[in-house]
Amino acid sequence: MATAAAAGISLSSPIRTVPVAKAELLGRKPVRIGQMLPLQRMAATAGRGRVVVVKGTQSSTPPDISEKVEESIKKAEEACAGDAVSGECAAAWDEVEELSAAASHAREALKANSDPLENYCKDNPEADECRTYDN
Amino acid sequence: MASCTIHTAPYSCSISRPAAKAFSLGFHQRHQQLIFFSSGRRSAVVCSAEKTVVIGLAADSGCGKSTFMRRLTSVFGGAAEPPRGGNPDSNTLISDTTTVICLDDYHSLDRTGRKEKGVTALDPRANDFDLMYEQVKAIKDGVAVEKPIYNHVTGLLDPPELIKPPKILVIEGLHPMYDSRVRDLLDFSIYLDISNEVKFAWKIQRDMAERGHSLESIKASIEARKPDFDAYIDPQKQYADAVIEVLPTQLIPDDDEGKVLRVRLIMKEGVKRFAPIYLFDEGSTISWIPCGRKLTCSYPGIKFFYGPETYFSNEVSVVEMDGKFDRLDELIYVESHLSNLSTKFYGEVTQQMLKHSDFPGSNNGTGLFQTIVGLKIRDLYEQIVAERAAASAAAAKV
Repeated sequence: MATAAAAGISLSSPIRTVPVAKAELLGRKPVRIGQMLPLQRMAATAGRGRVVVVKGTQSSTPPDISEKVEESIKKAEEACAGDAVSGECAAAWDEVEELSAAASHAREALKANSDPLENYCKDNPEADECRTYDN
Repeated sequence: MASCTIHTAPYSCSISRPAAKAFSLGFHQRHQQLIFFSSGRRSAVVCSAEKTVVIGLAADSGCGKSTFMRRLTSVFGGAAEPPRGGNPDSNTLISDTTTVICLDDYHSLDRTGRKEKGVTALDPRANDFDLMYEQVKAIKDGVAVEKPIYNHVTGLLDPPELIKPPKILVIEGLHPMYDSRVRDLLDFSIYLDISNEVKFAWKIQRDMAERGHSLESIKASIEARKPDFDAYIDPQKQYADAVIEVLPTQLIPDDDEGKVLRVRLIMKEGVKRFAPIYLFDEGSTISWIPCGRKLTCSYPGIKFFYGPETYFSNEVSVVEMDGKFDRLDELIYVESHLSNLSTKFYGEVTQQMLKHSDFPGSNNGTGLFQTIVGLKIRDLYEQIVAERAAASAAAAKV
């Protein structure tokens, strides 16, 4: 899907992991490819061919808002093709501005909620995991 | 009409009757005022002995208002969050002491309505100033209101939410000072004036990652909104008590990245309970480069200016900072030389800036002056509280 690809996450291919049995035999927890060091990754993929690395983009807008922004830009360009100084043209670009602002807020909100540790620490700043050392 | 017999002026403890006329707005919502009936407990619930302090903040969208809000609420303590359990698309922020209302909620036309009429959100015809005035006045008098919600994602007006009177109410939006009645309700007003070049640079940063946007579309969007902006929003800056003006830097020739900024804090003289900050000697003109023997700065350095000026035929004092902070000691050095900051302890400005070092503008004048304005507002609020306490003590004696 175009939107998903734009978001930087591949939905079609599954995440390849190190063969679980072998890792557990060694007493270690299985590690995802994405978390492995480059050397380990090379070793894991030797002979296996394609490795799918799941890469989340840093700031991705939720797809529905992203689509809205795109549509509104197209509509605004159409509206202004006729008469560049009309009220309709201004209103159309104003809508683009509004949706872009909403998209940027959504991106921020997504970023803010993406780290579960941050969310936990917001509510429990005195917990051990949330201690910060400044000096 | 019940009234509080115990408290006399300056507290207006009359309970207002619901407005006689139903506001027939496009979205068919009548705003209801909650009436507290004094049933035996005459003084406690009904008369909020403290009238809410109302602050107005004006800026174009995408100009750092939300960053300002977070800094402001942080000065008062606590983080401001959207109301829990309500509409997830609510624009309101609530913390322990402060409630922030977005004035877009008072749009009289939703997105479809504006498109039909060919009107932008900047146009006063798209906003219901009567409702804005009624509700802000009600909150200021201690009466909770049902405020409409404008959903920025869908572009529709959602069912209203209840807003209880907080200690401090901040109204942020495009038109807080447009209507003279609302202007008179404000205890303090701020205008964020971003110059065209900086606005362009910021919007590029914000929108270029967005699919569908290009340099041309961002430019076209700014240009198309400019006439309405200049006609309706920009004139509000003459009424503001403090203007934060953001301009391109003068330290780097031909800079178009907008990373280094020249920020001017323009403070109106003679505003009640507001003492402008100054550098070294109040009322004189100072040009100051802190970098030198005692302080080493990296390129392009920092430059300060302070002086009296005239702004739209008002007497003002201007403190200007050009450049950016790279290190903590630059920040503390600068803070130690500014006066009238209304800090509670030495280094408070620096501490606040460090607390939010991930916010945009934390290394230049925007963050610095926003933090300072936040401290000034805290000082204003505490002065008001002290005045009321003194007045009630005097009234009690009589």
